[in-house]
Amino acid sequence: MADVTPSGSLQVEAGASNDPVFIGIGELPSGKYPHRTFIGDLTEVATLAMRDARIQPSEVDTILLIPCLHSFDDQADLIFSRVVEELGLSGQAKSNMMIHSGGSTSDNAVRVASGLIASGHARTVLVLQAERWGSADLSEMVTMLTLNGIPKEWERPLGQTFNAIGALITQRYMAASGSSPEDMASVCVALRRWAQLNPNAMFKDKSLTVEQVLASRMVADPLHALECPPLADGAVGFVMTSAENAKGLTDSSVRIAGSGGCVSHYSIGQEADLGVLGWRTASERAYAQSGWGPQDADFAEVYDSYAAVTAIACEGLGLCPGGEAARWFATGATSPGGDFPMNTNGGLLSAGHTGVGGGTALLVEGVRQLMWKAGPERQVDGCRRAIIGGTGGSYMDAQVLLLERVANGAIR
Amino acid sequence: MTELVDTFRQGLARGELLVQSCVTCGKAIMYPRHRCPFCQSSDLEWRTSAGEGVLHSYTVVRAVPPKGFEDDVPYALGVVKLDEGAQLLVRLRPSGNASWDGYACDARVRFEPACPDEIQRRPAPWFALAAEPEDTR
Repeated sequence: MADVTPSGSLQVEAGASNDPVFIGIGELPSGKYPHRTFIGDLTEVATLAMRDARIQPSEVDTILLIPCLHSFDDQADLIFSRVVEELGLSGQAKSNMMIHSGGSTSDNAVRVASGLIASGHARTVLVLQAERWGSADLSEMVTMLTLNGIPKEWERPLGQTFNAIGALITQRYMAASGSSPEDMASVCVALRRWAQLNPNAMFKDKSLTVEQVLASRMVADPLHALECPPLADGAVGFVMTSAENAKGLTDSSVRIAGSGGCVSHYSIGQEADLGVLGWRTASERAYAQSGWGPQDADFAEVYDSYAAVTAIACEGLGLCPGGEAARWFATGATSPGGDFPMNTNGGLLSAGHTGVGGGTALLVEGVRQLMWKAGPERQVDGCRRAIIGGTGGSYMDAQVLLLERVANGAIR
Repeated sequence: MTELVDTFRQGLARGELLVQSCVTCGKAIMYPRHRCPFCQSSDLEWRTSAGEGVLHSYTVVRAVPPKGFEDDVPYALGVVKLDEGAQLLVRLRPSGNASWDGYACDARVRFEPACPDEIQRRPAPWFALAAEPEDTR
């Protein structure tokens, strides 16, 4: 494997004035909200994030948009600066752009924002996401999704779908790990317990049992309906700036200790090992940069469109022994009150799959926890370090962000 | 579509599984590329695959198919690693009992061509279990 870790001299040190940090977050409830609108949600969540960061809109110079998938029309509005005009930043904004790598977009947006801030090309970056999947026609969205990351010549004509992609991964993971259907269902149940503590989660009021999961209809063997992510409306946003600029704004911010990634394929038919994917390589690269590892983290937020997707990631990230992730979830270790909280917003499977935003919501939840703003029921007590894992599409990439809390200018 | 796609599909219609091969480094390539992804050579040729390999994973789609596939449900998809070294997504035939119960990860599978009319409708490589599960010879 080629060494792609930046040398120490290129990395921005903790405490450096140009160290990029998160200073504010915003989120709207996920679920089915037919009366909300796309631009309305973007405006609302932008306001929430800027208020949380204690900044005025006039302090934002760069806007990064995370794409929506419900409509190419609305996606074009993101690309062509509608948000700048809607927020009253015309003439003042330096740059508006959309970043897109599917479900891992938020990780790449953080990399881009960090690079712009550390190099002085941006001072304060507002990152926004909104999706209207929950109010869209399910069949249309399933068909639209086949246009995103499924080869039109080689896989689309066979009837490839995203549930089938999740199923191919799940089938391989279960065969390789010896995980039972009950083990896999228990991952969904663990996520639901967190969702029940999250007022923004789609299924905050619905309990879930392993029996219910296994009794739901088979969608794509071995995936039952309740193991497939519920499409949701949702919106999140966050603000990043330099450590120097953050000083006057907040006592607690969040910095990026390291990041690593691995693009292991484009089409699922070309993945060398569907039960492994790119997580080991991505993790090695991230831990090499941060100088700390899985044993030093207090919790993790890892993309979970299907139970096996997050199970495979947990193993590659070194959070549990190889082959044991689903059974680890089944023990309650990752649930509220467990030793190592995972996906504390309920994840995509229980907070709602907001398209490209599912990973963004997990990232924002990680930042929220590190800012100690998750509220009494959900807060991971005294947490300081978090692992964020992102992926998406055909699970073509594994992206890792290692975050740490900065309080009064020091990591603590 | 492109010549690469046409050639592959014409092979399927003749009952052949064509796999691209690099003349320079000798490696098998699927899906077909414009240059060899291993050595970047543009000297590429087609070979008829022996059509045998191992099923890396599979699924049976039973609900919420993409538009146009409503009448195909249920249908099975698999990722096959060919003995030649390349891998590809395939459609899987039901086994003897009209279900896919006999399939398992790492089972031996073989190419079983579909008729030209079916290839016209769905240009898919079809595979089946190399040995039926009840076959005890």
